[in-house]
Amino acid sequence: MARFPTDPWFKEFARAINESDEYREAAATWEGEIAFVIEAEPDKRMPEDVWGFLDLWHGACRSGGVVGPEDGAAARYVIRAPYSRWKDVLLGDLDPVKGMMQGKLRVQGDLPTIVRYVRAANELVRLTGTVETEFPDEVPA
Amino acid sequence: MRAVVVDEGRVRLADVPEPVIEDPGDAVVRITRASICGSDLHYLHGKTPVDPGGVMGHEAVGVVELVGESVRKVAPGDRVVLAFDIACGACWFCRRGESALCEDVRMLGGGPFLGSLPGTQAERARVPVADVNLLRIPAAVDDEHALFVGDALTTGYYAATTAALAPGDTIAVVGAGPVGYFCAQAARAMGAAVFAIDPDPARRAIAERSGVATVDPSGRHPEMALAEATEGRGADVAVDAVGSPSAFETAVGLVRRGGLVVIVGLYAAETTELQLGVFWARAITLRFTGLCPVHAWWERAMSEVEAGRIDPLPVISHRLSLEDAPRGYELFDRREAMKVVLAP
Repeated sequence: MARFPTDPWFKEFARAINESDEYREAAATWEGEIAFVIEAEPDKRMPEDVWGFLDLWHGACRSGGVVGPEDGAAARYVIRAPYSRWKDVLLGDLDPVKGMMQGKLRVQGDLPTIVRYVRAANELVRLTGTVETEFPDEVPA
Repeated sequence: MRAVVVDEGRVRLADVPEPVIEDPGDAVVRITRASICGSDLHYLHGKTPVDPGGVMGHEAVGVVELVGESVRKVAPGDRVVLAFDIACGACWFCRRGESALCEDVRMLGGGPFLGSLPGTQAERARVPVADVNLLRIPAAVDDEHALFVGDALTTGYYAATTAALAPGDTIAVVGAGPVGYFCAQAARAMGAAVFAIDPDPARRAIAERSGVATVDPSGRHPEMALAEATEGRGADVAVDAVGSPSAFETAVGLVRRGGLVVIVGLYAAETTELQLGVFWARAITLRFTGLCPVHAWWERAMSEVEAGRIDPLPVISHRLSLEDAPRGYELFDRREAMKVVLAP
Protein backbone atom coordinates (compact mmCIF):
# COMPACT_ATOMS: atom_id res chain seq x y z
CA MET A 1 0.00 0.00 0.00
CA ALA A 2 1.44 3.37 -1.03
CA ARG A 3 0.03 6.73 -0.09
CA PHE A 4 -0.78 9.11 -2.92
CA PRO A 5 1.08 11.33 -3.83
CA THR A 6 4.35 10.20 -2.24
CA ASP A 7 7.66 9.15 -3.78
CA PRO A 8 6.95 5.44 -3.13
CA TRP A 9 3.60 5.80 -4.87
CA PHE A 10 5.17 7.29 -8.02
CA LYS A 11 7.88 4.61 -7.98
CA GLU A 12 5.20 1.93 -7.74
CA PHE A 13 3.32 3.64 -10.59
CA ALA A 14 6.52 3.64 -12.71
CA ARG A 15 6.92 -0.09 -12.06
CA ALA A 16 3.33 -0.71 -13.20
CA ILE A 17 3.90 1.31 -16.37
CA ASN A 18 6.94 -0.75 -17.28
CA GLU A 19 4.97 -3.96 -16.86
CA SER A 20 2.23 -2.85 -19.28
CA ASP A 21 2.33 -4.14 -22.85
CA GLU A 22 -0.60 -1.92 -23.72
CA TYR A 23 1.29 1.22 -22.60
CA ARG A 24 4.49 0.11 -24.38
CA GLU A 25 2.56 -0.14 -27.63
CA ALA A 26 0.36 2.96 -27.25
CA ALA A 27 3.26 5.23 -26.23
CA ALA A 28 5.91 3.71 -28.52
CA THR A 29 6.72 7.10 -30.03
CA TRP A 30 6.15 9.25 -26.94
CA GLU A 31 9.15 11.32 -25.88
CA GLY A 32 9.08 13.58 -22.88
CA GLU A 33 8.90 13.92 -19.12
CA ILE A 34 5.64 14.72 -17.41
CA ALA A 35 5.41 16.55 -14.09
CA PHE A 36 2.19 16.21 -12.15
CA VAL A 37 1.52 19.04 -9.72
CA ILE A 38 -0.84 17.88 -7.02
CA GLU A 39 -1.93 21.21 -5.56
CA ALA A 40 -2.31 21.62 -1.84
CA GLU A 41 -5.67 21.19 -0.16
CA PRO A 42 -4.96 21.63 3.54
CA ASP A 43 -8.52 20.67 4.44
CA LYS A 44 -7.87 17.31 2.71
CA ARG A 45 -4.59 16.73 4.58
CA MET A 46 -2.56 17.94 1.64
CA PRO A 47 -0.71 20.86 3.22
CA GLU A 48 1.68 21.55 0.33
CA ASP A 49 1.95 21.17 -3.42
CA VAL A 50 3.62 17.90 -4.46
CA TRP A 51 5.48 17.48 -7.76
CA GLY A 52 5.33 13.96 -9.14
CA PHE A 53 7.62 13.19 -12.08
CA LEU A 54 7.70 10.51 -14.76
CA ASP A 55 10.45 10.28 -17.38
CA LEU A 56 8.55 8.60 -20.20
CA TRP A 57 10.39 7.51 -23.32
CA HIS A 58 9.27 5.25 -26.16
CA GLY A 59 6.77 3.24 -24.18
CA ALA A 60 8.78 2.93 -20.99
CA CYS A 61 9.18 4.86 -17.77
CA ARG A 62 12.88 5.53 -17.23
CA SER A 63 12.33 6.94 -13.75
CA GLY A 64 9.55 8.13 -11.48
CA GLY A 65 9.25 9.83 -8.12
CA VAL A 66 8.60 13.04 -6.28
CA VAL A 67 10.86 15.97 -7.19
CA GLY A 68 11.28 19.59 -6.20
CA PRO A 69 9.45 22.37 -8.06
CA GLU A 70 12.55 23.47 -9.95
CA ASP A 71 13.23 19.99 -11.34
CA GLY A 72 9.54 19.47 -12.01
CA ALA A 73 9.15 22.73 -13.90
CA ALA A 74 11.85 21.60 -16.32
CA ALA A 75 9.64 18.76 -17.58
CA ARG A 76 8.38 18.92 -21.15
CA TYR A 77 4.81 18.76 -19.88
CA VAL A 78 3.47 20.02 -16.57
CA ILE A 79 -0.07 19.12 -15.57
CA ARG A 80 -1.54 20.89 -12.51
CA ALA A 81 -4.72 20.32 -10.57
CA PRO A 82 -5.97 20.36 -6.99
CA TYR A 83 -5.47 17.12 -5.08
CA SER A 84 -9.19 16.29 -5.29
CA ARG A 85 -9.13 16.41 -9.08
CA TRP A 86 -6.23 13.94 -9.19
CA LYS A 87 -8.06 11.72 -6.78
CA ASP A 88 -11.04 11.78 -9.16
CA VAL A 89 -8.72 10.75 -11.99
CA LEU A 90 -7.30 7.86 -9.98
CA LEU A 91 -10.77 6.70 -9.00
CA GLY A 92 -11.92 6.82 -12.62
CA ASP A 93 -14.37 9.65 -11.97
CA LEU A 94 -12.58 12.17 -14.18
CA ASP A 95 -11.31 11.40 -17.67
CA PRO A 96 -7.91 13.12 -17.84
CA VAL A 97 -8.10 14.17 -21.49
CA LYS A 98 -11.60 15.56 -20.99
CA GLY A 99 -10.36 17.16 -17.77
CA MET A 100 -7.59 18.92 -19.67
CA MET A 101 -10.01 20.29 -22.24
CA GLN A 102 -12.36 21.42 -19.49
CA GLY A 103 -9.57 23.15 -17.61
CA LYS A 104 -9.91 20.88 -14.58
CA LEU A 105 -6.37 19.69 -15.28
CA ARG A 106 -4.19 22.56 -16.47
CA VAL A 107 -1.49 21.71 -18.97
CA GLN A 108 1.74 23.53 -19.73
CA GLY A 109 3.23 22.13 -22.90
CA ASP A 110 1.86 21.07 -26.22
CA LEU A 111 -1.70 20.01 -25.43
CA PRO A 112 -2.48 18.58 -28.92
CA THR A 113 0.43 16.17 -28.59
CA ILE A 114 -0.93 14.83 -25.32
CA VAL A 115 -4.40 14.53 -26.78
CA ARG A 116 -3.03 12.50 -29.70
CA TYR A 117 -1.80 9.93 -27.19
CA VAL A 118 -5.22 9.45 -25.64
CA ARG A 119 -4.85 5.64 -25.68
CA ALA A 120 -1.61 5.88 -23.70
CA ALA A 121 -3.21 8.38 -21.31
CA ASN A 122 -6.11 6.04 -20.71
CA GLU A 123 -3.72 3.18 -20.00
CA LEU A 124 -1.79 5.36 -17.53
CA VAL A 125 -5.05 6.04 -15.71
CA ARG A 126 -5.93 2.35 -15.71
CA LEU A 127 -2.50 1.55 -14.33
CA THR A 128 -2.97 3.95 -11.40
CA GLY A 129 -5.80 1.65 -10.44
CA THR A 130 -3.38 -1.25 -10.18
CA VAL A 131 -1.30 0.58 -7.58
CA GLU A 132 -2.62 -0.22 -4.16
CA THR A 133 -3.31 3.30 -2.98
CA GLU A 134 -4.35 5.06 0.17
CA PHE A 135 -5.45 8.67 0.11
CA PRO A 136 -4.38 11.11 2.84
CA ASP A 137 -7.90 12.39 3.45
CA GLU A 138 -9.17 8.85 4.02
CA VAL A 139 -6.55 7.82 6.55
CA PRO A 140 -7.77 8.14 10.15
CA ALA A 141 -6.09 11.09 11.89
CA MET B 1 -1.77 75.60 0.77
CA ARG B 2 -0.72 72.25 2.27
CA ALA B 3 -0.53 69.19 0.05
CA VAL B 4 0.99 65.70 -0.05
CA VAL B 5 3.69 65.60 -2.71
CA VAL B 6 5.94 62.85 -4.01
CA ASP B 7 9.67 63.17 -4.51
CA GLU B 8 12.17 60.40 -5.26
CA GLY B 9 10.10 57.57 -3.89
CA ARG B 10 8.76 59.21 -0.75
CA VAL B 11 5.82 61.40 0.13
CA ARG B 12 5.91 64.50 2.29
CA LEU B 13 3.74 67.43 3.23
CA ALA B 14 4.60 70.63 1.37
CA ASP B 15 3.36 74.12 0.68
CA VAL B 16 2.20 74.42 -2.91
CA PRO B 17 0.45 77.20 -4.84
CA GLU B 18 -3.32 77.54 -4.41
CA PRO B 19 -5.22 76.27 -7.47
CA VAL B 20 -7.01 78.88 -9.57
CA ILE B 21 -9.53 78.83 -12.39
CA GLU B 22 -7.45 78.30 -15.52
CA ASP B 23 -10.24 77.47 -17.94
CA PRO B 24 -13.92 78.54 -18.07
CA GLY B 25 -14.94 74.92 -17.41
CA ASP B 26 -12.85 74.58 -14.24
CA ALA B 27 -13.94 74.41 -10.62
CA VAL B 28 -11.84 74.71 -7.48
CA VAL B 29 -12.92 72.34 -4.74
CA ARG B 30 -12.02 72.58 -1.04
CA ILE B 31 -11.19 69.01 -0.14
CA THR B 32 -12.90 67.68 2.98
CA ARG B 33 -11.81 64.05 2.68
CA ALA B 34 -9.22 62.37 0.45
CA SER B 35 -7.97 58.80 0.46
CA ILE B 36 -4.91 56.80 -0.48
CA CYS B 37 -5.53 54.37 -3.33
CA GLY B 38 -3.56 51.30 -4.41
CA SER B 39 -2.57 53.03 -7.63
CA ASP B 40 -0.94 55.84 -5.58
CA LEU B 41 1.66 53.24 -4.62
CA HIS B 42 2.54 52.83 -8.29
CA TYR B 43 3.58 56.47 -8.31
CA LEU B 44 5.34 56.18 -4.99
CA HIS B 45 7.41 53.24 -6.20
CA GLY B 46 8.13 54.67 -9.63
CA LYS B 47 6.13 52.08 -11.59
CA THR B 48 4.30 55.01 -13.14
CA PRO B 49 6.12 58.28 -13.80
CA VAL B 50 5.43 61.24 -11.53
CA ASP B 51 6.01 64.93 -11.80
CA PRO B 52 8.71 65.69 -9.20
CA GLY B 53 6.98 67.49 -6.35
CA GLY B 54 3.59 66.67 -7.86
CA VAL B 55 0.53 66.54 -5.60
CA MET B 56 -0.68 62.98 -4.98
CA GLY B 57 -4.16 61.49 -4.90
CA HIS B 58 -7.28 61.13 -6.98
CA GLU B 59 -10.03 60.00 -4.57
CA ALA B 60 -11.72 62.88 -2.80
CA VAL B 61 -14.86 64.72 -1.83
CA GLY B 62 -15.23 68.39 -1.00
CA VAL B 63 -17.11 71.63 -1.39
CA VAL B 64 -17.05 73.74 -4.54
CA GLU B 65 -15.46 77.13 -3.86
CA LEU B 66 -14.96 78.63 -7.31
CA VAL B 67 -16.34 77.87 -10.76
CA GLY B 68 -15.40 79.11 -14.23
CA GLU B 69 -17.88 81.08 -16.25
CA SER B 70 -19.07 78.15 -18.38
CA VAL B 71 -19.80 75.78 -15.48
CA ARG B 72 -23.54 75.06 -15.18
CA LYS B 73 -24.09 71.88 -13.17
CA VAL B 74 -22.32 72.74 -9.93
CA ALA B 75 -22.05 75.95 -7.97
CA PRO B 76 -20.05 77.27 -5.01
CA GLY B 77 -21.22 75.59 -1.83
CA ASP B 78 -22.17 72.29 -3.48
CA ARG B 79 -20.84 69.15 -1.85
CA VAL B 80 -19.27 67.04 -4.58
CA VAL B 81 -17.30 63.89 -5.29
CA LEU B 82 -14.46 64.12 -7.80
CA ALA B 83 -13.94 61.69 -10.68
CA PHE B 84 -10.51 60.09 -10.51
CA ASP B 85 -10.23 60.12 -14.29
CA ILE B 86 -10.84 63.49 -15.87
CA ALA B 87 -12.82 63.17 -19.10
CA CYS B 88 -13.64 65.74 -21.75
CA GLY B 89 -17.28 64.69 -21.92
CA ALA B 90 -17.52 65.56 -25.59
CA CYS B 91 -15.51 63.03 -27.62
CA TRP B 92 -16.95 59.92 -29.31
CA PHE B 93 -16.02 57.65 -26.37
CA CYS B 94 -17.39 60.01 -23.73
CA ARG B 95 -20.69 60.33 -25.60
CA ARG B 96 -20.95 56.52 -25.56
CA GLY B 97 -20.42 56.41 -21.81
CA GLU B 98 -16.89 55.06 -22.20
CA SER B 99 -15.27 58.03 -20.55
CA ALA B 100 -12.22 56.09 -19.34
CA LEU B 101 -11.31 55.79 -23.02
CA CYS B 102 -11.69 59.56 -23.54
CA GLU B 103 -9.50 61.00 -26.28
CA ASP B 104 -8.20 63.49 -23.72
CA VAL B 105 -8.32 61.36 -20.59
CA ARG B 106 -6.40 62.79 -17.67
CA MET B 107 -6.16 61.88 -14.04
CA LEU B 108 -5.91 63.95 -10.91
CA GLY B 109 -2.45 63.26 -9.52
CA GLY B 110 -1.82 61.04 -12.54
CA GLY B 111 1.64 62.32 -13.51
CA PRO B 112 2.95 63.23 -16.95
CA PHE B 113 1.30 60.28 -18.72
CA LEU B 114 -2.11 61.51 -17.63
CA GLY B 115 -2.07 65.25 -17.97
CA SER B 116 0.13 66.34 -15.02
CA LEU B 117 -2.88 67.53 -13.03
CA PRO B 118 -2.21 68.15 -9.33
CA GLY B 119 -3.90 65.58 -7.14
CA THR B 120 -6.45 65.67 -4.36
CA GLN B 121 -4.42 64.98 -1.20
CA ALA B 122 -4.41 68.70 -0.58
CA GLU B 123 -6.51 71.46 0.87
CA ARG B 124 -7.88 72.34 -2.55
CA ALA B 125 -7.89 70.92 -6.07
CA ARG B 126 -8.68 72.26 -9.51
CA VAL B 127 -11.09 70.07 -11.46
CA PRO B 128 -11.19 70.59 -15.25
CA VAL B 129 -14.50 70.23 -17.12
CA ALA B 130 -16.30 70.44 -13.80
CA ASP B 131 -19.73 69.78 -15.30
CA VAL B 132 -18.49 66.30 -16.29
CA ASN B 133 -16.05 65.45 -13.53
CA LEU B 134 -17.93 66.47 -10.40
CA LEU B 135 -21.01 64.75 -9.00
CA ARG B 136 -23.19 66.44 -6.40
CA ILE B 137 -23.57 64.41 -3.23
CA PRO B 138 -27.15 63.82 -2.03
CA ALA B 139 -27.96 65.50 1.29
CA ALA B 140 -28.55 62.13 2.97
CA VAL B 141 -25.06 60.87 2.10
CA ASP B 142 -22.15 62.06 4.25
CA ASP B 143 -18.66 62.68 2.97
CA GLU B 144 -17.17 59.33 3.98
CA HIS B 145 -20.01 57.41 2.38
CA ALA B 146 -19.52 59.37 -0.84
CA LEU B 147 -15.72 59.38 -0.89
CA PHE B 148 -15.10 56.22 -2.89
CA VAL B 149 -17.84 56.84 -5.47
CA GLY B 150 -15.29 58.72 -7.55
CA ASP B 151 -13.08 55.64 -7.88
CA ALA B 152 -12.89 52.34 -5.95
CA LEU B 153 -16.57 51.93 -5.12
CA THR B 154 -17.83 52.65 -8.61
CA THR B 155 -15.02 50.51 -10.05
CA GLY B 156 -16.20 47.54 -7.97
CA TYR B 157 -19.83 48.28 -8.84
CA TYR B 158 -18.89 48.50 -12.52
CA ALA B 159 -17.11 45.12 -12.34
CA ALA B 160 -20.21 43.51 -10.85
CA THR B 161 -22.43 45.17 -13.44
CA THR B 162 -20.12 43.98 -16.21
CA ALA B 163 -20.73 40.46 -14.94
CA ALA B 164 -24.41 40.78 -15.95
CA LEU B 165 -25.45 38.66 -12.98
CA ALA B 166 -28.84 37.05 -12.64
CA PRO B 167 -30.28 36.30 -9.20
CA GLY B 168 -28.88 32.99 -8.01
CA ASP B 169 -25.73 33.18 -10.10
CA THR B 170 -22.48 32.40 -8.35
CA ILE B 171 -19.64 34.88 -8.51
CA ALA B 172 -16.13 34.41 -7.17
CA VAL B 173 -14.18 37.57 -6.42
CA VAL B 174 -10.43 37.04 -6.23
CA GLY B 175 -9.07 39.68 -3.88
CA ALA B 176 -11.08 41.27 -1.08
CA GLY B 177 -9.35 44.63 -1.08
CA PRO B 178 -11.47 47.75 -1.59
CA VAL B 179 -12.40 47.09 -5.23
CA GLY B 180 -13.08 43.40 -4.53
CA TYR B 181 -15.13 44.30 -1.47
CA PHE B 182 -17.26 46.79 -3.40
CA CYS B 183 -17.68 44.32 -6.27
CA ALA B 184 -18.80 41.67 -3.80
CA GLN B 185 -21.23 44.09 -2.14
CA ALA B 186 -22.72 45.08 -5.48
CA ALA B 187 -22.99 41.46 -6.63
CA ARG B 188 -24.73 40.53 -3.40
CA ALA B 189 -27.20 43.38 -3.91
CA MET B 190 -27.90 41.91 -7.36
CA GLY B 191 -28.94 38.63 -5.77
CA ALA B 192 -25.84 36.59 -6.57
CA ALA B 193 -24.16 34.07 -4.29
CA VAL B 194 -20.80 35.70 -3.64
CA PHE B 195 -17.50 34.10 -2.64
CA ALA B 196 -14.53 36.34 -1.87
CA ILE B 197 -11.08 34.73 -1.98
CA ASP B 198 -8.28 36.40 -0.04
CA PRO B 199 -5.46 35.13 2.19
CA ASP B 200 -5.71 38.21 4.45
CA PRO B 201 -7.88 37.35 7.49
CA ALA B 202 -8.74 41.01 8.15
CA ARG B 203 -10.05 41.47 4.63
CA ARG B 204 -12.02 38.24 4.81
CA ALA B 205 -13.52 39.33 8.12
CA ILE B 206 -14.77 42.58 6.60
CA ALA B 207 -16.30 40.70 3.68
CA GLU B 208 -17.92 38.15 6.00
CA ARG B 209 -19.47 40.86 8.17
CA SER B 210 -21.16 42.20 5.06
CA GLY B 211 -22.73 38.82 4.30
CA VAL B 212 -20.24 37.48 1.77
CA ALA B 213 -18.89 33.92 1.95
CA THR B 214 -15.11 33.78 1.95
CA VAL B 215 -12.39 31.31 1.10
CA ASP B 216 -8.94 31.33 2.67
CA PRO B 217 -6.73 29.93 -0.10
CA SER B 218 -4.10 28.89 2.44
CA GLY B 219 -6.62 26.57 4.05
CA ARG B 220 -8.83 25.47 1.21
CA HIS B 221 -8.27 25.23 -2.53
CA PRO B 222 -10.53 27.94 -4.04
CA GLU B 223 -11.26 25.86 -7.14
CA MET B 224 -12.60 23.00 -5.05
CA ALA B 225 -14.52 25.36 -2.76
CA LEU B 226 -16.35 26.82 -5.76
CA ALA B 227 -16.81 23.39 -7.35
CA GLU B 228 -18.43 22.14 -4.15
CA ALA B 229 -20.75 25.16 -4.06
CA THR B 230 -21.91 24.67 -7.66
CA GLU B 231 -22.42 20.94 -8.09
CA GLY B 232 -18.94 20.68 -9.60
CA ARG B 233 -19.44 23.32 -12.31
CA GLY B 234 -17.50 26.32 -10.98
CA ALA B 235 -18.56 29.93 -10.66
CA ASP B 236 -20.70 31.57 -13.33
CA VAL B 237 -18.46 34.61 -13.08
CA ALA B 238 -15.01 35.06 -11.62
CA VAL B 239 -13.53 38.49 -11.03
CA ASP B 240 -9.82 39.24 -10.84
CA ALA B 241 -9.82 42.19 -8.47
CA VAL B 242 -6.09 42.03 -7.81
CA GLY B 243 -4.20 42.53 -11.06
CA SER B 244 -1.52 39.83 -10.96
CA PRO B 245 -0.95 36.81 -13.21
CA SER B 246 -1.58 34.45 -10.29
CA ALA B 247 -4.89 36.16 -9.52
CA PHE B 248 -5.85 35.96 -13.18
CA GLU B 249 -5.01 32.25 -13.28
CA THR B 250 -6.94 31.67 -10.09
CA ALA B 251 -9.98 33.41 -11.57
CA VAL B 252 -9.77 31.35 -14.75
CA GLY B 253 -9.61 28.18 -12.67
CA LEU B 254 -12.74 29.13 -10.73
CA VAL B 255 -15.10 29.81 -13.59
CA ARG B 256 -17.36 27.18 -15.11
CA ARG B 257 -17.45 26.20 -18.77
CA GLY B 258 -19.22 28.98 -20.66
CA GLY B 259 -18.52 31.39 -17.83
CA LEU B 260 -17.18 34.91 -17.70
CA VAL B 261 -13.92 36.18 -16.24
CA VAL B 262 -13.95 39.90 -15.45
CA ILE B 263 -10.51 41.44 -15.09
CA VAL B 264 -10.81 44.66 -13.12
CA GLY B 265 -7.43 44.50 -11.33
CA LEU B 266 -4.90 46.87 -12.82
CA TYR B 267 -2.28 45.48 -15.21
CA ALA B 268 0.75 47.15 -16.75
CA ALA B 269 3.62 45.04 -18.13
CA GLU B 270 2.67 41.59 -16.78
CA THR B 271 2.49 38.59 -19.08
CA THR B 272 1.06 35.09 -18.80
CA GLU B 273 0.72 31.99 -20.96
CA LEU B 274 -2.72 31.02 -22.25
CA GLN B 275 -3.78 27.66 -23.71
CA LEU B 276 -6.07 29.14 -26.34
CA GLY B 277 -7.56 25.74 -27.16
CA VAL B 278 -8.64 25.29 -23.56
CA PHE B 279 -10.20 28.73 -23.43
CA TRP B 280 -11.96 27.97 -26.70
CA ALA B 281 -13.16 24.54 -25.61
CA ARG B 282 -14.35 25.93 -22.28
CA ALA B 283 -16.07 28.83 -24.11
CA ILE B 284 -14.75 31.27 -21.56
CA THR B 285 -15.37 34.97 -22.05
CA LEU B 286 -12.59 37.27 -20.88
CA ARG B 287 -13.66 40.82 -20.19
CA PHE B 288 -10.98 43.39 -19.38
CA THR B 289 -12.66 46.42 -17.83
CA GLY B 290 -9.76 48.84 -18.16
CA LEU B 291 -10.18 51.94 -16.04
CA CYS B 292 -13.70 52.39 -14.81
CA PRO B 293 -15.76 54.94 -16.75
CA VAL B 294 -17.02 56.39 -13.48
CA HIS B 295 -18.98 59.15 -15.17
CA ALA B 296 -21.39 56.65 -16.71
CA TRP B 297 -21.87 54.70 -13.50
CA TRP B 298 -21.37 56.91 -10.47
CA GLU B 299 -24.95 58.10 -10.17
CA ARG B 300 -26.13 54.49 -10.00
CA ALA B 301 -23.35 53.65 -7.56
CA MET B 302 -24.25 56.64 -5.40
CA SER B 303 -27.87 55.42 -5.39
CA GLU B 304 -26.70 52.05 -4.08
CA VAL B 305 -24.85 53.84 -1.28
CA GLU B 306 -27.80 56.08 -0.50
CA ALA B 307 -30.11 53.05 -0.38
CA GLY B 308 -27.70 51.25 1.96
CA ARG B 309 -27.10 48.36 -0.43
CA ILE B 310 -23.39 49.18 -0.54
CA ASP B 311 -21.76 50.28 2.70
CA PRO B 312 -18.30 51.76 2.13
CA LEU B 313 -17.38 52.50 5.73
CA PRO B 314 -16.05 49.02 6.64
CA VAL B 315 -13.11 49.44 4.27
CA ILE B 316 -11.85 52.53 6.11
CA SER B 317 -9.13 51.28 8.43
CA HIS B 318 -7.44 54.57 9.28
CA ARG B 319 -8.51 58.21 9.54
CA LEU B 320 -5.53 60.57 9.60
CA SER B 321 -4.78 64.25 9.21
CA LEU B 322 -3.04 65.49 6.07
CA GLU B 323 0.13 65.91 8.17
CA ASP B 324 0.03 62.18 8.92
CA ALA B 325 -0.19 61.21 5.24
CA PRO B 326 3.41 59.85 5.09
CA ARG B 327 2.53 57.46 7.92
CA GLY B 328 -0.66 56.53 6.10
CA TYR B 329 1.38 55.65 3.02
CA GLU B 330 3.71 53.52 5.13
CA LEU B 331 0.79 51.62 6.67
CA PHE B 332 -0.83 51.17 3.28
CA ASP B 333 2.40 50.07 1.63
CA ARG B 334 2.91 47.43 4.34
CA ARG B 335 -0.68 46.25 3.81
CA GLU B 336 -1.48 47.17 7.38
CA ALA B 337 -4.21 49.49 6.18
CA MET B 338 -7.20 48.68 3.94
CA LYS B 339 -8.10 52.28 3.20
CA VAL B 340 -6.56 55.43 4.66
CA VAL B 341 -8.75 58.54 4.73
CA LEU B 342 -7.08 61.92 5.06
CA ALA B 343 -8.79 65.00 6.48
CA PRO B 344 -7.12 68.18 5.17
